Amino acid sequence: MIFIMAWRNIWRNKMRSIVIILSIAIGLFAGIAVLALYKGMMKSRVRTVIDAEVGHLQIHDTSFKKDYEPQFVISNGADLLKNISSMPEVKLAAPRSITNGMLATATGSSGVQINGVIPALEYEASQLKKKIIEGNEFYPAKKNEVIVGKKLAGKMKLKVGSKLVLTFTDTSGNIVSGAFRVAAVYQSDNAPLDERNVYVTMNDMNALLGISNAFHELVVLLKNDEDVKTVQQTLRKKFPAYQIETWREISPETDLLVKTVDQYSYIIMVIIMLALAFGIINTMLMAILERTREIGMMMALGTNKIRIFSLVLMETIFLTLAGTPVGILIGWLAANYYNRRGLNLSGMGREMMSSFGFNPLIYPEFPADKLMGVLLIVVITAIVSCLFPAMKALKLQPVEALRL
Amino acid sequence: MNTVIDAHNISKVYNPETIPVYAVNNVHLHLERGEFTALVGPSGSGKTTLLNMIGGLDKPDGGNIFINGNDITKLSANELIDFRLKNIGFVFQSFNLIPVLTAKENVEFIMQLQKIKQSERDERIKQLFQQIGLEDKLNERPSKLSGGQQQRVAVARALASKPQFVLADEPTANLDTKSASNLLDIMAKLNKEENITFLFSTHDQRVIDRARRVITLVDGRIVKDTAVVSTEHKEAATIR
Ligand SMILES: Nc1ncnc2c1ncn2[C@@H]1O[C@H](COP(=O)(O)OP(=O)(O)OP(=O)(O)O)[C@@H](O)[C@H]1O
Ligand SMILES: [Mg+2]
Repeated sequence: MIFIMAWRNIWRNKMRSIVIILSIAIGLFAGIAVLALYKGMMKSRVRTVIDAEVGHLQIHDTSFKKDYEPQFVISNGADLLKNISSMPEVKLAAPRSITNGMLATATGSSGVQINGVIPALEYEASQLKKKIIEGNEFYPAKKNEVIVGKKLAGKMKLKVGSKLVLTFTDTSGNIVSGAFRVAAVYQSDNAPLDERNVYVTMNDMNALLGISNAFHELVVLLKNDEDVKTVQQTLRKKFPAYQIETWREISPETDLLVKTVDQYSYIIMVIIMLALAFGIINTMLMAILERTREIGMMMALGTNKIRIFSLVLMETIFLTLAGTPVGILIGWLAANYYNRRGLNLSGMGREMMSSFGFNPLIYPEFPADKLMGVLLIVVITAIVSCLFPAMKALKLQPVEALRL
Repeated sequence: MNTVIDAHNISKVYNPETIPVYAVNNVHLHLERGEFTALVGPSGSGKTTLLNMIGGLDKPDGGNIFINGNDITKLSANELIDFRLKNIGFVFQSFNLIPVLTAKENVEFIMQLQKIKQSERDERIKQLFQQIGLEDKLNERPSKLSGGQQQRVAVARALASKPQFVLADEPTANLDTKSASNLLDIMAKLNKEENITFLFSTHDQRVIDRARRVITLVDGRIVKDTAVVSTEHKEAATIR
């Protein structure tokens, strides 16, 4: 009976209840929208890290990553490449020769990481070809072509066709340098990376380094994201001499970012609910105040405090939960709509987004995995918000309430 | 005959520190089972205060109240809630019913609180609504009932638990003459046929005329306690 009373009581002041139910629906929608946006951003960030930056796995000589010294190569590169490329889980393996060096023009110089790549493989592994915004891909017949990032090009005043000199040490410690011509300028979603990385062909690079049939890094792309751990284990067994890392280990900041953002999204949800709690408390207080005589009468007749409390609690929970399905539904519809269409946030500034490594076109995704957490927060909000109004109700003295 | 209410020397003082108001002043009251008694007196004479204390809604500042031999002045607030639920039927002047519940649900609610079984409830509700003549209004909300009908439902609810006695504070104050007399008919009938004890306060002479005993309060003291030996003779005997 208390249950029926609670439900009907909500509809006594329809306008007021609808306002609070709607605000909960909107608050929940806002929360879900933020979660969906975050989820979309994180997914796209992870995709970028895997598809355009580090790949699923990378293989290096165990000493290479300490100082990027050129002598720590993976020798017998061709065999390894063939071996790994033929694994069933592997979509693609792309080798890179890497060294740190100096890029110099007539007007200035800048420290860069020089990546010697096999163009056809690199275009697949890091989408290099797609990132080109000016100029053309490596022209097979030409030697000493370089592709530079937009940020670096701007800083060094480089254009397609500009000449520059790359200087670095070879495997025996001699300083070598080569004159290169800018073939293209690229831009990725990650501006800091663009500023550091330049690409040349592995042939040109290995010739200067003095190595052959060897490279420093092998990027492995898998067919399925889920296979990362198992393939890593298989490779570790097969090639114990090499350092084999997953993208999480290579880019721990991405992993951390995803985890931090997960926590933030709950915090945002709690803040939204906290704001709503005041509205709920206010509504319930008004409802109790209006019904002072009625509650006094119920107590006079012998309704005990537990029942009065459950009445207030249930009313609050109904009031809170009534808006929940609506909010979740709108959130779900909006998330799905933009998931298909994509949400362009370049209004916030492409520069800003890309300095954090994000693509401004986001595909929000309904945070189904967080739904239980969100519901829990909503229910806790209801319970907490009912406490104060319930205390007010329980403090009523029947004699005084009835005299009013 | 057995005693239902035995109030000894009870008092209630408001504002004891500033200007003390003796709402009820050293009152003795004794009620036997089956009485049909009116409490009368001018406004502010202490009728409501006295009824509230007897009903366990308010605590006297002095004296003891025995209901069926139990001293309710010794009970805690929570014990009193339970005591009221099990022993006393209430009919208030107005705003008796829970507006979101139907007439039937209002009566059933109290019976549920008393943990009466469903089958027993249904039977009792049927019987009670017959007695108050509202069998056809079972599923109406209070707002759809007239003031008189609402008070009749309140009487039905007061009786639902078969209480020791029913306290009614000016039950007819908001009713027109016809409804008032109708309510009194029902109360008198229940009193006669089921031996239910009624104690009600009133200003209305026509209601007073129906009582079999009339207690008059002035300034918190009982100044007159008249038993009407029989309604035919209307022969009054002054006890005090
Ligand atoms: N809470 C209170 N604080 C102070 N004085 C009170 C309080 N309640 C009642 N009184 C006083 O106690 C006296 C008795 O009041 P009570 O309500 O019992 O009278 P009553 O006989 O029921 O009057 P009425 O016929 O108007 O209902 C009055 O003088 C009233 O002013
Ligand atoms: Mg009164």
